[in-house]
Amino acid sequence: MTSKRSIIIFWALFLVPTLIISGIAFRLLSHEQERINRSAIQALSERAETISETIHITVEAVQENLTQSLLDIDQDNLKKILLAWEETNPLVRNVFIYQKNRELEYPVRGMESTFEERRFIARYDSLFSGRMTFDFNEDLSKDESKIKGVTESSRQKLVALSRVVQKAPVSEQKAFPFTESEHLFIEKSGWIPWFSENRLHILGWVQKIGNGPVYGIELELMALLSRLVVDFPELPEKEVALLLMDGNGYFMHQSGKMTVDPKEKPVAVVSISNLLPHWQIGVFIDKKGFGSTRGFLYISVILLGVFIIAIVSGGVLLTRLALQNMKDARQKTSFVSSVSHELKTPLTSIRMYAELLLSKRIKDTNKTQTYLSVIVSESERLTRLINNVLAFGKLEQGKKTYHLTPFEMDRLLEQMIQAHSIRIENQGIEIISQIEEGDYKVKTDRDAIEQVILNLVDNALKYADKGKFIKFVLEKDDSFILLKICDDGPGIPKAQQEMIFEKFHRVDNSLTTKQPGSGLGLSIARQILKDLEGDLFFDPMPGHGSCFTARIKHHESD
Amino acid sequence: MAHSKQYQHRTSISFFTVLIVFILMTGGVQAGIEPSKLICRVETDRAILPAGDSQNVVLKITLDAPPSPAHIKRPLVNLALVLDQSGSMNGNKIQQAKAAAIEALTRLGLQDIFSVVVYDTNVHTIVPAQRAGNIQSIINTIQQIRAGGSTALFGGVSQGASEIRKNLESNYIHRIILLSDGLANVGPRMPADLGRLGAALIKENISVTTVGVGTGYNEDLMTRLAQKSDGNTYFVESGFDLPRIFAAELGDVLNVVAKKVKVTITLSDNVEAINIIGREGRIRENQIEFYMNQLYGDQEKYALVEVNIPKSTSGSRIKIAQVDVTYENPFSRKSEKSTGISYARFSSDSGKVARSTNIEVIREYQLNLNALAQEKAIELSDKGKKKEAVRELKQSAARLKQVGSRYNDKELLKEADELEVQADTIEDRGMSPKSRKVLRTESFQMKNQQLSQ
Repeated sequence: MTSKRSIIIFWALFLVPTLIISGIAFRLLSHEQERINRSAIQALSERAETISETIHITVEAVQENLTQSLLDIDQDNLKKILLAWEETNPLVRNVFIYQKNRELEYPVRGMESTFEERRFIARYDSLFSGRMTFDFNEDLSKDESKIKGVTESSRQKLVALSRVVQKAPVSEQKAFPFTESEHLFIEKSGWIPWFSENRLHILGWVQKIGNGPVYGIELELMALLSRLVVDFPELPEKEVALLLMDGNGYFMHQSGKMTVDPKEKPVAVVSISNLLPHWQIGVFIDKKGFGSTRGFLYISVILLGVFIIAIVSGGVLLTRLALQNMKDARQKTSFVSSVSHELKTPLTSIRMYAELLLSKRIKDTNKTQTYLSVIVSESERLTRLINNVLAFGKLEQGKKTYHLTPFEMDRLLEQMIQAHSIRIENQGIEIISQIEEGDYKVKTDRDAIEQVILNLVDNALKYADKGKFIKFVLEKDDSFILLKICDDGPGIPKAQQEMIFEKFHRVDNSLTTKQPGSGLGLSIARQILKDLEGDLFFDPMPGHGSCFTARIKHHESD
Repeated sequence: MAHSKQYQHRTSISFFTVLIVFILMTGGVQAGIEPSKLICRVETDRAILPAGDSQNVVLKITLDAPPSPAHIKRPLVNLALVLDQSGSMNGNKIQQAKAAAIEALTRLGLQDIFSVVVYDTNVHTIVPAQRAGNIQSIINTIQQIRAGGSTALFGGVSQGASEIRKNLESNYIHRIILLSDGLANVGPRMPADLGRLGAALIKENISVTTVGVGTGYNEDLMTRLAQKSDGNTYFVESGFDLPRIFAAELGDVLNVVAKKVKVTITLSDNVEAINIIGREGRIRENQIEFYMNQLYGDQEKYALVEVNIPKSTSGSRIKIAQVDVTYENPFSRKSEKSTGISYARFSSDSGKVARSTNIEVIREYQLNLNALAQEKAIELSDKGKKKEAVRELKQSAARLKQVGSRYNDKELLKEADELEVQADTIEDRGMSPKSRKVLRTESFQMKNQQLSQ
């Protein structure tokens, strides 16, 4: 018992650290998962920033080029060129020419303009009516870096820096030839993001001469957007999305396959540019099934699980083996003691009677006869026991050889009943023999079958010695001969019924059992029958008593 | 020697014969290359106007496109199909859309350019712009389209346009066919926004034809996009009509006889422009301008303009307007011009005036007014004013009936009857998505004189 406990303690010592380690590993893994999530968001945000910078640079380049083109327009044909431009350039939505303190020169207010132009005039009425100057947002556009504020990345700063350097010499250069009449000839230009009816519109204007007309274009935002979204990079991941959002939070374009609810809040936001104010790129991550990185956690957990299962099942296996070994060792010890005991009992009798006979004090011939027969029967018992042990040894090593000879089973059974009838009847047990009419030819090992029958009879005599009868039944089914040996002894408890065929097993396995025995008989009998293509079963008798059925292969005469 | 001279003589004769035949042949071919020109007609609702005070007159400027010449290679087509593969397309619709795409592909020639863009939440170019030669591999790609996801309509059209642009410089007829069955939920979704996109695309001579399937799409958005880019628009209730529609549309596209059509109406002094009916144009001082991207063979397109004519005396004759049409002939790739002039005669004989009525102008004028009434009815119904919408339609039907019976015009009477039935249906069951789509599409097709319906 102590060793059993020590095995369990050992196992527990083994299991507890495993569980602790796996617990720690799991925590580390989920931290790792969080870190991966964070870095995924970080990476996506960086992508969004790159995109927004690209958009910014593109829009800026578009605006600069448009400004330059506007400045390059021949002032004498201003209206004609502007109109032709509006007609052919997809980026130009509307054009205008405005002279300060005068009526808007183009488009003309009233029915002569198209519906679109009327809307255009209404949109920018505060500019076109002179209530606001065109350069009202000049500070705003010059001081870009301040507006963008803290969130600006180093790269954006670099871009901003390059922009400043780019711009400065241009204005200097332009201003230089006109130093004398600087106020009259300085070129002014600007871009105005304009919100009207809660929608963004962008107006570009230039003034080439100090008191000259202000003219320009309204940018076709949809055409610009249409060109921009085509170059939006595709995201192959299913659980993330980058969404271009306008000032109202409407989704203008999406890359990434995730289905985003319009009410969902992005995990990170990157504003695009002050050229498109309030426009943002939102980073969305599906937290439920962030598969590509969550996969890492799943795989880790599975690995961890396999590891734990391996350790636990290994432990269970080892413990089972250890317990089995202990049981085997106990059974062997018990086997040796019972065999020794078995050997000793007949030896004692033989020796005692032999010594008595040797002393020649016994004159009665009847007595002498009885003693001699006891010696003979005890030697026979000894022989059977030794035969069993030998058979067991051979069976265990797989060295048992069988000599197959044809004979008739009913004849053999009758002979054996005959041979053992005295022994059986001496115990006060009646022999009942039921041999059905028929052909019981077999071709098998006669000695082995004899040993089986002997073991079964011994078994019945040993454990059913209080019984009234022992019944031999021989019958046939399709291909087997069934030999049943039944008694009306105490029977075998249900729980033990399968185990009786195990080697060394005895229903009551203590040394003090009144019945001697090696626990080998049934095991050997079954093994022999199995080797000879038959089998041995146990059937409880109705009421009490047991019945063993040996199945022996029937041999058709050839 | 003599023998050889005779031989020489004979060769020179045969050479001459060949030369003459050659000249005749090239002459003949040249006569074939030069297709008949586009004809511009300007008519008033009455050939003879009542003399007296200043009055409003309806001018109908008709462009009669010549038939597509049979023996000349047609201009090449640069076609982009933009197909909705959102979840709602699943089942029959996507199957029919694929069949329609393949139908369109097989109608193209080897030199035409073909591309396919599909859109759900994202946009994918599954067939980048290429010659329509490798048909089997393109068909295999089209067959792999699976439905699922949202509707990024704007992105789809943008991507389609980007595929078209790969061959923008070449002399192709550029056309996007957009198919959608649902509401755009990724990207700009206001009809006005898509209208602006259309207005930008037409500047690159790209027209967008829109095909709405089922009753779930936004017909305002689809018609606006088509209208602003001078494409066609179609409404099909089930997917089964798609292959037919695509075939009809392609029939139009393959039949373009005039590109970049610009109509300039120059009004005479004292004649004032009042209104443009049905079409979008601009009035600039004494000039009215229209733009159409393409005209199809045998198509008649027209514009209706209301002008005011000054005081007149009986028997006098004035020039009302001169109409100049410039367009690009896609066969010769040359810019061509056509002119029409409208004169008005005046008479105080009212019978003479009445007899001079031009029923065609009256009919088109009434039908266009009806189209406007249909749009107004939609607007009213959108505001929840069902009664007013029905009244608007019924008034229009009554007007059509009145004019129709006055001039005994069957077409107007038939239209009046149909409109009455529609009005009754709306009165009984309200404006269903289907009747709204029917009204919107009909009004568009009327205003733009869409050929295939």
